[in-house]
Amino acid sequence: MKGAVLMLPARAKTPAWKRRLVFTRIGRWYTALTVAIGFAAINTGNNLLFLILGLLLSSIVVSGILSEQSLKGIRIERRLPASAAAGEPALIGLCARNTKKRAPSFSLELRERGGHVRGRGFLIFLAAGETAEVAYPFAPVRRGRYRFEQLEVATRAPFGLFEKSRPIDADAEIVVFPRKVPAPVFEVSSLAREGEKPEDRVGLGLEVHGLRDHRAGEDARSIHWRSTARHGRLIGIDREQERRLRICVVFDHRGLSGEPLERAVERAAAVVSREIDTGAEVSLALAGQHLPAAAGDAQLRAALRMLALLEPADAATPSPRPDVDAAPLEVA
Amino acid sequence: MRRALTVVQAQQWACALTAFFAFCACVVSGELGLVLVLLFPAAIIGAALFGHRVHGKLEWLWTAGLACALVYFASRVAAGQVDAVLAAARFTALLCIHRLWRRRTQRDEILLLLLSLLLLCAGAALSAELLFGAAFIGFSVAATWAMALTHLRFEIESGRGTALLQSRRLATPRLLGALALLSVLGIAGAAVVFVTFPRVALRSLRRPSHKQPLAGLSDQVDLSLQGAIGDDPRVVLRVQLSPDPGIEHLAMHWRARGLSVWTGQGWRTAEAGQMPAVRMAPRPKRRPGGRQHIQSADIEAVAGFSDGVVLTPEGWPLAVDFKRQMTARGPSQRLYRNAAGDLFYQPIDIGDLRYVVTVSRDDSDRALLRGRGNDYPPWLKPELSLPANLDPRIAALAQRIGGAKDPVDAAAAIEKWLSGTLQYTRDLAGETRDPISNFLFKRRRGHCELFSSTMVIMLRSLGIPARNVTGYFGGERTSAGYYAVRGGDAHSWVEVYFPGAGFVTFDPTPAAERGGQERGLWAQALLAWDALQQRWRAFVIDFDLVSQGHAVARIGEVFSEAARRLSGKTSTDTRLRNLFLSGVSLFLLAAAVALWTRRMRLPRGALARRSPLGPDQRRAIALFRDARRKLQRAGIDLPRAMTASELGRVSPAANEVAASYSAARWGDAALSSKDVRRLLRDLSESLSARS
Repeated sequence: MKGAVLMLPARAKTPAWKRRLVFTRIGRWYTALTVAIGFAAINTGNNLLFLILGLLLSSIVVSGILSEQSLKGIRIERRLPASAAAGEPALIGLCARNTKKRAPSFSLELRERGGHVRGRGFLIFLAAGETAEVAYPFAPVRRGRYRFEQLEVATRAPFGLFEKSRPIDADAEIVVFPRKVPAPVFEVSSLAREGEKPEDRVGLGLEVHGLRDHRAGEDARSIHWRSTARHGRLIGIDREQERRLRICVVFDHRGLSGEPLERAVERAAAVVSREIDTGAEVSLALAGQHLPAAAGDAQLRAALRMLALLEPADAATPSPRPDVDAAPLEVA
Repeated sequence: MRRALTVVQAQQWACALTAFFAFCACVVSGELGLVLVLLFPAAIIGAALFGHRVHGKLEWLWTAGLACALVYFASRVAAGQVDAVLAAARFTALLCIHRLWRRRTQRDEILLLLLSLLLLCAGAALSAELLFGAAFIGFSVAATWAMALTHLRFEIESGRGTALLQSRRLATPRLLGALALLSVLGIAGAAVVFVTFPRVALRSLRRPSHKQPLAGLSDQVDLSLQGAIGDDPRVVLRVQLSPDPGIEHLAMHWRARGLSVWTGQGWRTAEAGQMPAVRMAPRPKRRPGGRQHIQSADIEAVAGFSDGVVLTPEGWPLAVDFKRQMTARGPSQRLYRNAAGDLFYQPIDIGDLRYVVTVSRDDSDRALLRGRGNDYPPWLKPELSLPANLDPRIAALAQRIGGAKDPVDAAAAIEKWLSGTLQYTRDLAGETRDPISNFLFKRRRGHCELFSSTMVIMLRSLGIPARNVTGYFGGERTSAGYYAVRGGDAHSWVEVYFPGAGFVTFDPTPAAERGGQERGLWAQALLAWDALQQRWRAFVIDFDLVSQGHAVARIGEVFSEAARRLSGKTSTDTRLRNLFLSGVSLFLLAAAVALWTRRMRLPRGALARRSPLGPDQRRAIALFRDARRKLQRAGIDLPRAMTASELGRVSPAANEVAASYSAARWGDAALSSKDVRRLLRDLSESLSARS
């Protein structure tokens, strides 16, 4: 694994029949007493002790059958949040569905197994054919990629003697964006911004590109009423395509690592967010990486993702290459 | 409306109930002591009512009290005043009481359950009663509730849905019923494990036996008592005879002791010690012309009634074989014998004792005893001694009845005269100077001891050796197939000595009056209870490796029978055939019940799913569905989903159907089955007219 995220080894697919069984505290005592009573029964030949031993052993068997029945036919899905940022709690949903036709499931614990995230949710009862969702809080402390490996459904039903669990493969990952911090205030000189300027082609801007005959079915708002009145027929307007404010966030992170790198990444993310929020087209120029300019949520997510996965770079890495047609905004 | 319990309340009650049943399992042994018997239920009720008030207070007092109890019990065990199992049971009961008053955390509840289990085990070590079985079943059900609810409660309390903790919709009767059903599965599993678990006992650490018997057969008879003989319906012996006579009421004497020495007011045993009976006394020579029968009696002597005496059926005892004890306590018994031939065992355990006595019986033809003379060996002196102040009228009467006759004829004549002339009564004569004379010449009625005593004295006055014998008479067959001898069947009779034949039984008590007369409801109830107890002992307590072998062999036989029948061969063994047919019938019955239950449940489930809809609405849905089907069959293409008005637009013939559907489905209008049929018929007619 590169950067801040641990690399997990590749894993073989878990067979569906695989179960994990661990003793609970009462289960350990119960088993120890069962063994002791079994010894006492064999030692004394007292049939009533054999009867008690039978009850204890059959309770273990019944417990095993019912716990298996509870786990059987349970499907789990993980529902990840659309985005997550370091230091901001989010909820991860675990959706369980009981696919059995008749038998309900009891006392189910749904939890993460393996991977980088630990979380669990509990369902007392899940009727046959029903679906229920529980969520656990996810509070990442650092940016980067978080991997999820398996989900595990476990039950201690009906007596709490043993915990039987069934792992379910559910590989997934979430990229946690850099921590949200206030964007740095830049000097006026560094804000070498261009204004929004029209391009010489038809588009959706405000300026008039040209006039032409109105086409049937066109929006009435595109009619140029004055020309229409002058010519006695419907005249439509073609608008000029306007190019948005284009900014290139330049972040040369070569030589940075550890906390300085993290803080710088957070500042860069804050600048990108602020500029996209203002409607600008933002490109991102990093050492060895470049994100073409674009606007909107998708661009914001792409930029934050790039920053989230940013790793320390050495001096051999190519320097950032700002867009020539964009106002550079360098993050120190 | 009845308020249901919250999960916490239900769990606490279930745990308390579990402890109560475990305690009951101990109490049935009768060894816990009155203080604990009263204290434990009071502690359960007190803890339920006031436990929350004292929780966490006076902890030091509890600890000090328990420490004192531990020291007290340990010192008593060390001093040999009480055995370790009993002391452990009592201390565990005290720990349970402590835990009942101090229950808050999961650890407390788990400890209470584990202590209850230990208490149940102590009960198993202390008793082998049927009531233990009842307590065991109660424990199984309550423990299932307790364990499941404890698990549920603490899963909820550990932050996994705390809102449910005070909900009264969780611990519903339905849930408790399902858990009880689960406990039935547990008990069935316990039965399977019980039957199949190999019975290999090490028997290295066992509870020592108790020396004190509770009650028993006395070694003396006092004829001067006052009052009346009570008829005790309690069962004292359970007997299985081989060969089985197959009759309802046995007419058999169960011999306990021979009493030879006349005390002036009754009888006592001769002063002679007991010696280990390494082998039984040799049987006298076979009577010429007589036939011998070997009979064995598998006797279960109920605790407290045998007093160390081995009861033997009529005949010459050939062997006594003690069976394994009912409870795993104490060493096995040893057999002793006294000069009178009475058999005893040591140690005298308070538990029930089982042994098999094999006897040799002769034909009851007394003619074979004639002509044996009166050359009696000197050791018969006690059986010939007469009271110094014997009333001369007794000797004269004896002479008149049996004088100048062969001893066997004389004994028979006196026996016949006594049983035919004198009357039987259970009222005791009270203190008299000479009970025999009073019985013979004044009162002329008495109980069995007076009859037998009189006959012995009369025979001795004729120079015929005889002795008074005590024991039981009779036996009533029970539904479990054994003969039950009750306490009220206590009896007294006579043994007369004949050279070369030994002592022979004579009974002067009128035949109709021998043994107990109790036949009432109480006696029948006791007998039924005893039959249950006997089955409990036979199938649970006495189940051993041999029984397991028999069970396996039986199962093998059943499978062989099944294979024979499947291959078209008929079986000659009717018992096996019946067993096989019973098994098949049971299987078919179970399958029929399962099918019937399934059929009954399905509509209920369907109705439950549709419960928000009334019958008119359900009919409307059916009408809509059928109308759609008819239209499709008529060649009208319909989309998969459509409203009623769309259906009406598709075909004018379906207008009325759509209107009726909407009115019934959404407008609470009535729609009878007759209306549905009419609408569908009209639709069919209009569709056929259209085509």
